[in-house]
Amino acid sequence: MKRNVNLFLILLLIFPAAVLAEESYTFDAGEIEKKPYHFGGYVELRPVLYVLDRDAALYKLQYYQDPRSTFIEWNGRFQLEGSYEKGIGSVFVKTNTDLHYSTFANGNERTAIFDGYGTLKPSPSWKFEVGKKTLKWGKGYAWTPVNFIDRPKDPYDPDLPIEGYIMATMDYIRSFDGPLKTFSFTPVILPVYDHINDDFGVNNRINAAGKVYLLLYDTDLDFIFAADGSRTTRMGMDFSRNITTSFEIHGELAYIKDYQQPFLDNAGILQSRTQNVVSGLMGIRHLTTFDLTTILEYYHNGMGYSADDMKNYYNYIRQGYNRYNSTGNAQMLNVAQNLATGGYGRLSPMDDYLQLRLSQKEPFDILYFTPAVTVMFNLDDQSYNITPELLYTGITNLELRLRAGFIRGSRDTEFGEKTYDYRFEFRAGYYF
Amino acid sequence: MLKTMIFLMTFLMAFPAYAVDGKKLLEQVDRNLNPESYEAYRKLINIEPDGKKKEFTMYSVKKGQDKIAVLFLAPASDKGRSTLRLGENMWLNIPNIGKPIRITSLQSVVGGVFNNADIMNLDYSAEYDVEGVSEAAGNYLLLLKAKTKTVAYDRLKMWVDKGKKLPVKVECLTEASMLIKTLYFKDHKDFGGGIVRPAVIETDSPLYKGYKSVMIFAKIKKRVFKDEVFTLTYMPNLESLR
Repeated sequence: MKRNVNLFLILLLIFPAAVLAEESYTFDAGEIEKKPYHFGGYVELRPVLYVLDRDAALYKLQYYQDPRSTFIEWNGRFQLEGSYEKGIGSVFVKTNTDLHYSTFANGNERTAIFDGYGTLKPSPSWKFEVGKKTLKWGKGYAWTPVNFIDRPKDPYDPDLPIEGYIMATMDYIRSFDGPLKTFSFTPVILPVYDHINDDFGVNNRINAAGKVYLLLYDTDLDFIFAADGSRTTRMGMDFSRNITTSFEIHGELAYIKDYQQPFLDNAGILQSRTQNVVSGLMGIRHLTTFDLTTILEYYHNGMGYSADDMKNYYNYIRQGYNRYNSTGNAQMLNVAQNLATGGYGRLSPMDDYLQLRLSQKEPFDILYFTPAVTVMFNLDDQSYNITPELLYTGITNLELRLRAGFIRGSRDTEFGEKTYDYRFEFRAGYYF
Repeated sequence: MLKTMIFLMTFLMAFPAYAVDGKKLLEQVDRNLNPESYEAYRKLINIEPDGKKKEFTMYSVKKGQDKIAVLFLAPASDKGRSTLRLGENMWLNIPNIGKPIRITSLQSVVGGVFNNADIMNLDYSAEYDVEGVSEAAGNYLLLLKAKTKTVAYDRLKMWVDKGKKLPVKVECLTEASMLIKTLYFKDHKDFGGGIVRPAVIETDSPLYKGYKSVMIFAKIKKRVFKDEVFTLTYMPNLESLR
């Protein structure tokens, strides 16, 4: 016995790997057991510091009653989602609660059901859904001109979840051999009534829309339409294709009939023009062998304002601000704020933009670390916004992001007249 | 007499390597690894030099030579993500973003040493031609060359167990024969339905010194799917296949 123990110890010294057991990897059956229900969620804290531009027109519009140089905004987000599946049917619900507190506007909270729909899937070729959801049509990263149905996304943070609309949809899918590999058709019915999608457009309408998708010669192609209803008739198409395995090209084209645009003329009189407009986007995405991703997109916004339109708007605000200071009458500023809730206040309100985004995965072998920089350039007035960011995902289910925004532009330009010159944001998000 | 016997035995041992049909052997390896159409559960573990681990649990479905889809089940931050491969096209769908984007085979949606081509691998015989067969250390050694430039690795050296016709080790190489990574196939297991294969694939790479990734198979079951499962429009519905 003693000899056996001595022999073991000698072998252990000479061949430790051979004697000790190899690491065994476990895979618990409970990890893959499918339950009919699922619960999960996401919680986020996002403080933001703004360094304001007191000479900017939009600063005067927003802070004329409470001037300041900086302010801090504390934002929280809490999302809960759950699903239940039985046979060919399932239900999915996602709620979103946004909390804001700032040194300017105190606190507010908004809770909404972002998604809440029932699904029937009788076969892989057919799916029927009714409820509140998003469609996410389009191939663009920062902008999607063919997004005729969903709420617009934030081009400065395009990956943020957005609230859906109540609709009924269907997917019909067919696969083939040959150059046409896939065909699918997705019709959409979207009602607009009191308390049902009432921010979509004109009330008391049933809206019809649809998308045809083809995978043809290894190219994703979509043909999209939205009939006249709460909004005017729109048609569009998009595509996405790999030119090489690491180089992708995509584009969108949208035609909007009878688009009505309110605008201020150079006398400060509110006018309206109705015209057919065309919006488009072209973009590329490239990945290098050392994991640098480049996304470059050009966007033409057919519903946008010209440089002269924006100059008239900024002049109107400055006149309103001067009148308020001399008489206390804020009427012009109130009109300007109403216009800001429409096209003038939209993100990317002007005609032509270019966005470049560079992100480098794990530089210098720093695991789970991705720095990036995004530059958005307004081609009409040569103003721009630079957003560097650092992202860390090294802790399971936790995402940490630090972002800054640097705005540059002269007077009467989009970025030159924004409320702030600098913006610093930290975001901590946890999934469960 | 003894010398003659030894010569004959050596000749008989060497001869089969030259009579082996490399293409048929590779096809047999593919079928021994997986049925042509199947569903499987896998866990992927990325192990850092300091021992820290990050784990991903996945559900995969495959049909025929060029259709495979993967659904992430864990961790929570990745749950619901899916990838799809249809021929030479690959997409990633993230539920919050919801719009599938095209990805490449050399990227990795999970990080670590395994990349998308390893996670969504097609049959070896679908992507590689056999350039040569020989014997090495009691195994067959297959020299494979990618059929097209879109395949992740230009060359493979595959050591195949002679008796089981299953891979033991695969070296993935560039066109200039530079080693990118090595896959080690271990822990043979009977998954039922006639599927007996390595349950663990370990990989390491000279490009990621000190890092290791491990793929563990928990369930592999023959199952036939409709072609429509492997489409962009179906990607959000993969969970319903389980």
